[in-house]
Amino acid sequence: MTAIAEIKPTAGSSPLLAFWRVLRKNRMAAVGLGMLTVIVLLAVFAPALAPYDPYSSEGLGVADVYQPPDSAHWFGTDDAGKDIFSSFMYGARVSLTVGFFASFISIIIGGLIGLTAGFYGGRTETILMRFTDLMLVIPDLPLIVVIVALTKPSLLNIIFVIGIFGWTTTARIVRSQTLAVKSRKFVLRARGLGAGNAYIIRRHILPLVMPILVVNAVLVVSSAILNESTLSFIGLGDPAAISWGQMLNFAFSRGAMSSGAWWALATPGFGIVWVVLALTLLGQGLEQALNPRLDTHHLMPGRPVIHEEAGAKPIQTDVALEVRNLSIDYIAEGKPPARAVQNVSFTLRQGELMGLVGESGCGKTTLMLSLLRLLPAAGQIVNGSVCYKGKDMTAMSEDELSALRWKIISIVFQGAMNALNPVRTVGDQIAEAIRRHEPNFPREKMTGRVVELLDMVGISADRRGHFPHQYSGGMRQRAMIAMALACNPDVIVADEPTTALDVMIQAQILQLLDNLRKRLGLSVIFVTHDLGVVADLCDKALVMYGGVIAEYADVDTIYNASRHPYTQELLKAFPDLSKPRKKLTSIPGHPPRLDNLPKGCRFAPRCPLVFERCLTEQPALRDLGDDHIVGCHLAENPT
Amino acid sequence: MSRWQRLVRKAGWALFTILFVVILNFFLFRILPGDPARQGVRDPRLTPETVEAIRVRFGLDKPVINCIQTFSPLEFGDCGVNPLEAQFFIYVANLLRGDLGMSFYYNRPVGDILGERLWNTVLLIGAGQILAIFAGALFGLGAAWKARTSIDYSALIAGLVAWSVPTFWLGIILLFWGSNNGFPIGGKETPGMSSYPFMMRMNDFLHHLFLPTVTYTIVFMGEYLLIMRSSLLDVFAEDYILTAKAKGLNTFQILKDHALKNGMLPLVTIIAINLGYTVAGVIQIESVFSWPGLGGALYEAVTRRDFPMLQGGFLLIAVSVIAANFIADLTYAYLDPRVQVE
Repeated sequence: MTAIAEIKPTAGSSPLLAFWRVLRKNRMAAVGLGMLTVIVLLAVFAPALAPYDPYSSEGLGVADVYQPPDSAHWFGTDDAGKDIFSSFMYGARVSLTVGFFASFISIIIGGLIGLTAGFYGGRTETILMRFTDLMLVIPDLPLIVVIVALTKPSLLNIIFVIGIFGWTTTARIVRSQTLAVKSRKFVLRARGLGAGNAYIIRRHILPLVMPILVVNAVLVVSSAILNESTLSFIGLGDPAAISWGQMLNFAFSRGAMSSGAWWALATPGFGIVWVVLALTLLGQGLEQALNPRLDTHHLMPGRPVIHEEAGAKPIQTDVALEVRNLSIDYIAEGKPPARAVQNVSFTLRQGELMGLVGESGCGKTTLMLSLLRLLPAAGQIVNGSVCYKGKDMTAMSEDELSALRWKIISIVFQGAMNALNPVRTVGDQIAEAIRRHEPNFPREKMTGRVVELLDMVGISADRRGHFPHQYSGGMRQRAMIAMALACNPDVIVADEPTTALDVMIQAQILQLLDNLRKRLGLSVIFVTHDLGVVADLCDKALVMYGGVIAEYADVDTIYNASRHPYTQELLKAFPDLSKPRKKLTSIPGHPPRLDNLPKGCRFAPRCPLVFERCLTEQPALRDLGDDHIVGCHLAENPT
Repeated sequence: MSRWQRLVRKAGWALFTILFVVILNFFLFRILPGDPARQGVRDPRLTPETVEAIRVRFGLDKPVINCIQTFSPLEFGDCGVNPLEAQFFIYVANLLRGDLGMSFYYNRPVGDILGERLWNTVLLIGAGQILAIFAGALFGLGAAWKARTSIDYSALIAGLVAWSVPTFWLGIILLFWGSNNGFPIGGKETPGMSSYPFMMRMNDFLHHLFLPTVTYTIVFMGEYLLIMRSSLLDVFAEDYILTAKAKGLNTFQILKDHALKNGMLPLVTIIAINLGYTVAGVIQIESVFSWPGLGGALYEAVTRRDFPMLQGGFLLIAVSVIAANFIADLTYAYLDPRVQVE
């Protein structure tokens, strides 16, 4: 889904700047930081703000005990008659101090262990990570309770004990991030240039580990604060530093419950919730910014199809698939819609094999997914029609359409590893498609049918109960093809089915597809960036560039009489056995970004034959006869 | 690696961890300054002879281990003693016999007390976990499925708040509410109930169990909801969900047959990893509700300075967590077919 990747925001370069950007964009992080600031200010300015001194009990009598909130004591008084609001502010100081210093210790220990393990690897790593696992499995709160109970419950002790048992998650996270960064190209290059370990860690590893460490630190602080309050609540707090947990301990064990003094119980707890929630929101927000996702969510309802122009009536009804004037937008919040596919038309006849060619990011996958309206939530068909035997699939309801999916058009996805569910057997996943579309298919014949399908693609019957990870890459791709054949579809769309496979396997898969097409009378759309494959197998080729048709013609015409400079340039980039002396050239530059399309012809910035008109005016599609369509100003003059 | 090899390796690791905890548990109580001999019997009225008699009774007169008489303060001793007569080996031998020492407070074997209490805790955790997993998985599923809608945001906020609330405080609030609404204020049964008919006792027991379980459920549901939501969001972005959709399956079928199991896997791991955290929650809940379980025992041991009880309680809790972790590990291997080949 390269098209979507293109409109993703780019990550900031400076960490501070990135942090600021996160806060501006992520409401959760901003709210968390706001809440945290409030409590930090209360804690810092407690002596100035607090109306009473919580450490002095001068002039307090029995009459002051557990007084409900009033104008003199906003949050009432506690078991000793002290003002709860004042204690609350001072309590914030203790909780925040413990949280900050304890997590500082944890982060340092965890960071060092994780970094060392990840960077040095080998036996060091094994020992350190085993130790981490060991500490991870020992319940930390009971251990902390035991140790604090055996030592003096002073603030320093509490900080230290919480700190030295809170590092395990940090160590694990830092290690895996270090491992990931270590093998990145620039680190290997720096090492190749003779940089020392210290230099590599400081200059290359740390900057990339830091963001994750910061997110983790936020969460470690909150768990340290929770641990401190629990310790204090069970009576292991520092008697000289009243924390929120201790306020709760006093109130709970000294009759607040029976005197109905809810304020003495609610206020300190509210403080803990406030701080921990603030930190959690901040942490979650930062994490979201670090690992942005939701870009794809295949279960989000798709956007409704709209038709900018009145739909053209299908012309031919005897063809497998007829696509007319199809246009697709990607819609991102706060941005103008990006046109990923514009005005694409083609006709797929029965038994025909059409190659859909273009570089990555030219809208091939988007076009293919739109045929069955499987676009991600950001994608929207804004014009055109996809007709199967005269029925327009862009106008159907979701239910009508889902009955046709796989039944008439099935898809062989690229990279079959992720296209098969890893926790279900291959045979089960094939049978599932049959059960969906032929509910009356006899159960006892199901195994036979699955075996038959697997046999067609050359997979032996005993493999049907295996899981996808037990298959090799080529086998997974063949299993995917078997699954695509399960409901006897008319059309199979193969989306770069051979990328990531080695050359021999590629050839086998292609041969298989071609044989099946001939045997079963299938129509196939073959998405690829390999013109050589197209020449071997296809009847027709549709060359796309920047979301529009560059050229559409039968394969002979494409190879021998192409009129679009992009097609010609693509051809130069592939070896041709008939012209062994030909020099291979690649096209400099990249396809345009969808959110920054050129004003005129989309290929103009890279076109060797560009002239003035190309920069200002988008070329219209011209029909040169014999189904040869070209989108280029040059094609207007016959050669 | 075959399933059996994996099992053996995991079991070996679990045993090693238990051994580590056993050793840690022993030395922690000997090294840290709160030596039982001085902490447990520091009543100034006791004569030196009585103190010595108590020390002998608890075996504290023997060297801790060869060459070391006591750790705190550090005193070296005879290296030539029979190792079987050092405190460490007596401790290990006693452990193997299930002897965890005598409680200072109850003057009964710690093992007996904890044995009675273990089941109360198991019951509380069991009921709470099941409810929390169900509710958390369900709400997490709803939130992830309806991502970026008000349903998602409400679930997310509820989950984050539940996650941020200290367990003991939630317990206090619920107890405060419950005590005004006819719920018992603590314990596992109303005193004097033992002569009543079974159904009434059962009813009484469930009344006592209700608030602790609700507390447990809310706290852990929040966490499970967040995990389920996030792991399902990952699943929904996977290609196999797109395949399922392209196959013509409807949303319900996709959720049931393709998303749920895959999304549950990280939840199982987290449940396993967080068992220690579960114990932390149980200590808090049991101390608030005076629930006679292991966590409550730990709390009481702290307040009563009952060190054999603290030591035994910690050991039993740690071993239970390790064992539960081991079981969760096996469950994961059973659920995820990919594990076998790794």
